Amino acid sequence: MADETLALTSAPAQSSDRRKPVRVPVWDRFVRLFHWSLAATIVVATATGFFAAAPRIDIHIWVGAAALGLVVARVIWGFLGPTHARFSDFATDRRTIFAHLSQIAAGKAERHRGHNPLGGAMVLALLGLIVAVAVTGVVVLGGVFKSGPLAFATSFTTGWNVRVIHELFSVALVVLIALHVAGVVFESWRTHENLARAMVDGRKEARPKDHASGMKGARPVTAIAIAGSLLAALGSLAWVSSARLPLGVPTAALDPTYAEECGDCHNAYHPTLLPRASWSALTAGLDDHFGENASLGPETTQRIASYLMANAAEAFDTKPANFFRQIDPLKSFTITATPFWTQTHRNIPTAVFDRTAVGVRGNCEACHTDAAQGRFYPGAIDIPSEATP
Amino acid sequence: MKIIYPILTAAALSVATMAAADPARQAIVDFYANAAGVTDFSAEGGKSLFETTQVGGQPDTNVCTACHGTNHTDTGRTRAGKTIEPMAVSANPARFTDLEKVEKWFRRNCDTVLGRQCTAHEKGNVIAYFSSL
Ligand code: HEC
Ligand code: HEC
Ligand code: HEC
Repeated sequence: MADETLALTSAPAQSSDRRKPVRVPVWDRFVRLFHWSLAATIVVATATGFFAAAPRIDIHIWVGAAALGLVVARVIWGFLGPTHARFSDFATDRRTIFAHLSQIAAGKAERHRGHNPLGGAMVLALLGLIVAVAVTGVVVLGGVFKSGPLAFATSFTTGWNVRVIHELFSVALVVLIALHVAGVVFESWRTHENLARAMVDGRKEARPKDHASGMKGARPVTAIAIAGSLLAALGSLAWVSSARLPLGVPTAALDPTYAEECGDCHNAYHPTLLPRASWSALTAGLDDHFGENASLGPETTQRIASYLMANAAEAFDTKPANFFRQIDPLKSFTITATPFWTQTHRNIPTAVFDRTAVGVRGNCEACHTDAAQGRFYPGAIDIPSEATP
Repeated sequence: MKIIYPILTAAALSVATMAAADPARQAIVDFYANAAGVTDFSAEGGKSLFETTQVGGQPDTNVCTACHGTNHTDTGRTRAGKTIEPMAVSANPARFTDLEKVEKWFRRNCDTVLGRQCTAHEKGNVIAYFSSL
């Protein structure tokens, strides 16, 4: 890095061949590494966010976190990096941007060895939008999925509403990336230079009429120290607050009587999977329970009924509790017949439920490893494969 | 090779008698004997009740083996996919040792399969059958 820095601070290299200008270092190693790593994380995050099945959520979260970390490091480099890495080299005001635009239109815009004003604005917009997508993502993760650093303080409703913003920002990000690529293609054509290649080997031609940049030396040691401690602090803060008890999740183990009496024929369903009215209809009809007599003595029935009342969907704030709370209790107390359940599981072929390890749709625990805790975190889904004897 | 059979039989017998001799199970058998006014139960009668297809109950589960399976030293499976431990006392010594549990399941399963309650005599026969296996 040091020699590159030197090269950047020195004047444009002398050209031995007048017709073919020398390619000089422009994008330092960190900027290039940052650019392509960010591109990779954003591609994976976007693909998993828009297209992947729910069980892949953890990939989405980790690449999102990586993108945020990269942006933090880049911001610091924007103040301590070499000439063209600095915000001061490419962050301009609106007037300069519009002036540049009209010069392009008139066919006489300057060539910038670093980012031109429009490209610089794009860099800032991309960085800002990625931070916004990541931060809203953390809110959704906390409120809806009761996981991550904000889970201890975020309600489902907040998470669910912010989800819309997260999605809008993500769409906006895709649009910006498309514009960014279009801009690169356009500028490559306009200046007769492959800009994508420049982001790979870091070099661009030094031309006599280039826009003048005030040369700045990089301070890599300071930058690494600041970025390292900032990321370590952010990481530990996230770690510590992720370990806190999420807001509104059930923590108690199933009542032993309930688990025993309602767990003989199927795994005992978590009480948050039905609203109070459904549970009371169910416990009132145990002598004809899905075509089977599941009756209990009056005392045990009473005990189970009051346990279910106290811990029903209304009492907690998990995603399943929020959705199962809304079902029409007069219709049925069949969890797997509710619109939410059928909608969520519509892509799973019937053959999967017929697998020996599953058997029926109602065997939540076969696929949801955290069903007994009432969590149903998408990353905890593990569909059993067909047993091979 | 031949000597192994008497040994196995003896071992099996002693396990069976040990199992049958569980005082808690004996108390339940006595309870049903008393209620039915009989002194002896028929394993054959128990087998027939358990393995014959019935009318009067739920068509989906019209035979006890629908859930418990036909090999009683092996596990069964409920309609909802949960494993049921073996019914044969030799394979599952905890069977028929808790009157409340035994009564609860006879009450439920006889209603589901036969559409009526089982008599004390029938219950004793079923226990005799599974103790004999
Ligand atoms: C005798 C066996 C038996 C017992 C005991 C039993 N259930 Fe069930 N339960 C069933 C069967 C069979 C079904 C239907 C499964 C199916 O069709 O997939 C069912 C279904 C359910 C469902 C709906 C599941 C779905 O697919 O949406 C709920 C909820 C439920 N049971 C709750 C309870 C509760 C609460 C208790 C304890 C009071 C209990 N069960 C005890 C046999 C039993
Ligand atoms: C055959 C496996 C399987 C069974 C059985 C099953 N699920 Fe699921 N469930 C899944 C899969 C896979 C998904 C994710 C679907 C997707 O890609 O969005 C899911 C998603 C969910 C979700 C949404 C998770 C989220 O936050 O995105 C809930 C809640 C849920 N299931 C509840 C249940 C309940 C309750 C039962 C039992 C009555 C059940 N599931 C039975 C496989 C299963
Ligand atoms: C719908 C499924 C189903 C059917 C049909 C069924 N059972 Fe059961 N049975 C169960 C389940 C589940 C248990 C409790 C699980 C256990 O004890 O391992 C059980 C337990 C029992 C027990 C208690 C055993 C003990 O350890 O105390 C008896 C007795 C019994 N069943 C008898 C019968 C008889 C007799 C029939 C036929 C009339 C029958 N069952 C049919 C599901 C069924």
